[in-house]
Amino acid sequence: MALNLTRRKFLQTASLAAATAAMSGCFADRAKAGTPFVKKPFAAPGSFADTKTVTGGICEMCFWRCQLVGKVRDGRLVKLEGNPKSIDNGVSICARGNAGVKLLYDPDRLKFPMKNVGKRGAPEWKRISWDEALDECATRLKGVIDKYGPQGIAIFPHGCSATYPMNFFENVVGTPNNSEASFFQCRGIRDTAYVATLGVPPGENVDMANAKAIFLLGGHFGENVHVSHLKRYLKGLENGAKLIVVDPRFSASVSKADIWVRIKPGTDTAFLLAIMNYLIKEGKYDKKYVAEHGKGFGEFAKGISHSSLKWAAKTCDVPEKQIKQVADTLAANAPNVSIHPGRHVSWNGNDFQRERALACLTGLLGTIGVKGGFVPGKGPKVGKVGWPKLMSEHAEQFALHTMAKLYKFSPPGTPTDLIRNTAVTGKPYAIKGYVGWGQNPIQTIPDQALTIKMLEQMDFVMVCDVMPTDITMYADILLPELSYLERYDGYIHKGTQWNFADPQQQFIAPRLPLVSPIATDHERKDSIWIINELAKRMGYGEHIKVKSAEEMVEKILAGVNLSIGQLVKEEGIHLQPGADPYGKALDVEFYSAELAEAGYSAIPTYVPVPEPPKGFARLVYGRSPVHTFNRTQNNAWLHNEMPNNPVWLNDESAKKMGLKEGDTIELVNQDGVKSRTSSVVKVTPGIRKDTIYMAHGYGTMNKAMTVASGKGIDDQSLITRLAVDPETGAHGMRNNFVKFIKNGKVLSIPA
Amino acid sequence: MAQSTSSNMADIYRFLAQSLRYPDSSWLQAEYFSALDAFLVGLGWDAEAASIRRSISESADWLEPLQVEHTRLFVNAVPAVIAPPYGSVYLSDDGMLYGPSAEKTKLFYHEQGFDLVGEADIPDHLTFELEFLALLVEEGKSDEEEFFLAHHFRPWFPKFKARVVCETRHHFYRVIVNLIDFFTREEM
Repeated sequence: MALNLTRRKFLQTASLAAATAAMSGCFADRAKAGTPFVKKPFAAPGSFADTKTVTGGICEMCFWRCQLVGKVRDGRLVKLEGNPKSIDNGVSICARGNAGVKLLYDPDRLKFPMKNVGKRGAPEWKRISWDEALDECATRLKGVIDKYGPQGIAIFPHGCSATYPMNFFENVVGTPNNSEASFFQCRGIRDTAYVATLGVPPGENVDMANAKAIFLLGGHFGENVHVSHLKRYLKGLENGAKLIVVDPRFSASVSKADIWVRIKPGTDTAFLLAIMNYLIKEGKYDKKYVAEHGKGFGEFAKGISHSSLKWAAKTCDVPEKQIKQVADTLAANAPNVSIHPGRHVSWNGNDFQRERALACLTGLLGTIGVKGGFVPGKGPKVGKVGWPKLMSEHAEQFALHTMAKLYKFSPPGTPTDLIRNTAVTGKPYAIKGYVGWGQNPIQTIPDQALTIKMLEQMDFVMVCDVMPTDITMYADILLPELSYLERYDGYIHKGTQWNFADPQQQFIAPRLPLVSPIATDHERKDSIWIINELAKRMGYGEHIKVKSAEEMVEKILAGVNLSIGQLVKEEGIHLQPGADPYGKALDVEFYSAELAEAGYSAIPTYVPVPEPPKGFARLVYGRSPVHTFNRTQNNAWLHNEMPNNPVWLNDESAKKMGLKEGDTIELVNQDGVKSRTSSVVKVTPGIRKDTIYMAHGYGTMNKAMTVASGKGIDDQSLITRLAVDPETGAHGMRNNFVKFIKNGKVLSIPA
Repeated sequence: MAQSTSSNMADIYRFLAQSLRYPDSSWLQAEYFSALDAFLVGLGWDAEAASIRRSISESADWLEPLQVEHTRLFVNAVPAVIAPPYGSVYLSDDGMLYGPSAEKTKLFYHEQGFDLVGEADIPDHLTFELEFLALLVEEGKSDEEEFFLAHHFRPWFPKFKARVVCETRHHFYRVIVNLIDFFTREEM
């Protein structure tokens, strides 16, 4: 009978009064809190529905930090565009930048602090209050510190907002165990190798726009997209620069190249040594620059004298005359040559030496401080504010690589490999607290089983993120962070105009929120608020220097007499006259006494890497223009552009294996580890037979990423054999080998 | 009679909105359950009333399972949040939060002289829509109430309800979404 009673009929029955009388009593607290609505007279919107342009956005769909404006309609961000005032990216942003809207309004985003009442790896979440979350984090992290010392905590940070937490744990708490994978596993090797050679970390500071030749080692621009970087590259090509690309695969850059060196992966250092040896023997190097700025050139020249073109041709599996052609092209266009330092350089575990070789080639050609060469821009200065370095000495004392006398050219932080091994073995000390901030080590670090083992032995795991990435499944307490579109950051983007041929200018662009973070249906916070609250509860409150992210931005800007108010007036970007970037020479340590003293090879040296076993090919990964690692994989707009990561296979091999374009396949590696998911084959003559390629950032294991889950293959899951670079301790990730599986049958790859 | 019906309907909408808020001890007390019980019994939903009575009295710690279930259904879960309580997730092709339909809902709030308190509030959150219906009832705007139900609420609520009814592990939420359905479905 009840189900036949309609709403209106029910409201007219006599039982109504009794049934609803008790209801109003339940609203006592609600009345205090107020309703979610306020009265506001209606004003009809105009034809553009009052869309406002909000300035001051800084993109973080990747790390390039393009300057944005947001089109905001009635509180909702409807579109992102490049800031027309930008002298960096200008009005252009990439596909990922555009898709930031979709991140902001992703229904899978983390919304409230949560406690795991299930198990690590198989979580059951319970929403909790910020007070409860922070109290528990503080108590349990303090518990780890009291029992094991500050070094008992490991932090895995990533991104702008992770700097404040990272510095807190390093400088105030006093742990050396910081694994900043995006730096360490990516460009850290490059930076320390260039510092050891040229005295400066290189960034991607080659003046490609004004170069006569551009030399890329694995760089696949176009697939790898960073707007102002691409502008420099494309301007150079437009101006007629010769393009030399060294890559086992027909990449987007190869498609524009004058010379494609189809190199055997892992042999790049041999290739570089042969070029340098040839240039020296033929006298085709910059003798004046080397004489004035070279150190240990004699030892260097002698030390690489065995590196003949013939030797390199055999080692690298490329024609001898092509190596000569590359060397001659570089010499003919020197000094206006961009020897690109690369960015993600943790390839084969012999990477420090390769980066040293690139820096030496840069010096040998005298292409430093000149048009088209290695030219760091002269950017503006800003103020500084942050945590005091109270515990740095303690941290240094417990740094694992120092204790083990290993990896003496480690980038800042501690090699991830050592942190993980120490956590798992408990030697030389226990690591029992994990703090993750915006990093997903499940997909950034090889050997996932070991990473999970590390997490399982922790007393406490705290993770703060925007999205429910793989690592969040292992958290005890999971904290939701505001996205880059809703927050201030203690990060100020600064730099120069992208083309040094234009009038010299500098810019200062702090990140300002494009939309408000204030909402009643979610409770996300920024990292400065979260860490301050945590610091207070852990007993470090007295060391807090800024109360909020906004205050931090104000203090940094105040250092150069600017303010947020002023920046808003200036449409998000402060411009000022710049300085001529050209003319500064750098000394070149061709022979490094420092390296010799530390027990490493003092001149760049080629160390052979393991060969693929019979039936296997080397797994190489790279970038897709629509993804930035796993951060963007759940973005529906980007996912729609490239829903999986096709696995590149040589066409002749495919024919012999009976595989066709588009076939669904899985992969299995040399240790018998199978991919969790499948992808499709891309059959192409554009890849070597000994190499398999796919884009990174697919195949998440967390089903809470509802768009990305199960789509494509996670390359990292197949990287189980570790190659550790002896100078830096960073992981090389291209020494693993795979076979295909189709319909359950394992297919060997013909040599 | 009309006026008392109206104010009672506003109370009912508010009560239902409240029932979907995060379960914590600030409001989820004996007083709430007795009101719900009386309401269900008054409605003739005796079996539902009994099922809630059982699930609350079965365990000494009945609150945490409700909190875990609320989080799993509406906030975040592995493998996937069951039923995001936002209209446009069900109405836009790509399951987007704050999609075009949500903007239209917000515009309707404005047209009726209201705005949301939180600048970043997602307008088509289920509790907001129920609270808004209460406001319309209080202002005696029965045509607008029916319009809102027909054009903003009913296009998505049944899809949301189906997910909750099918997937929930707790009687409480099954009963609450059925109650909401009962008071918002189209009158025959």
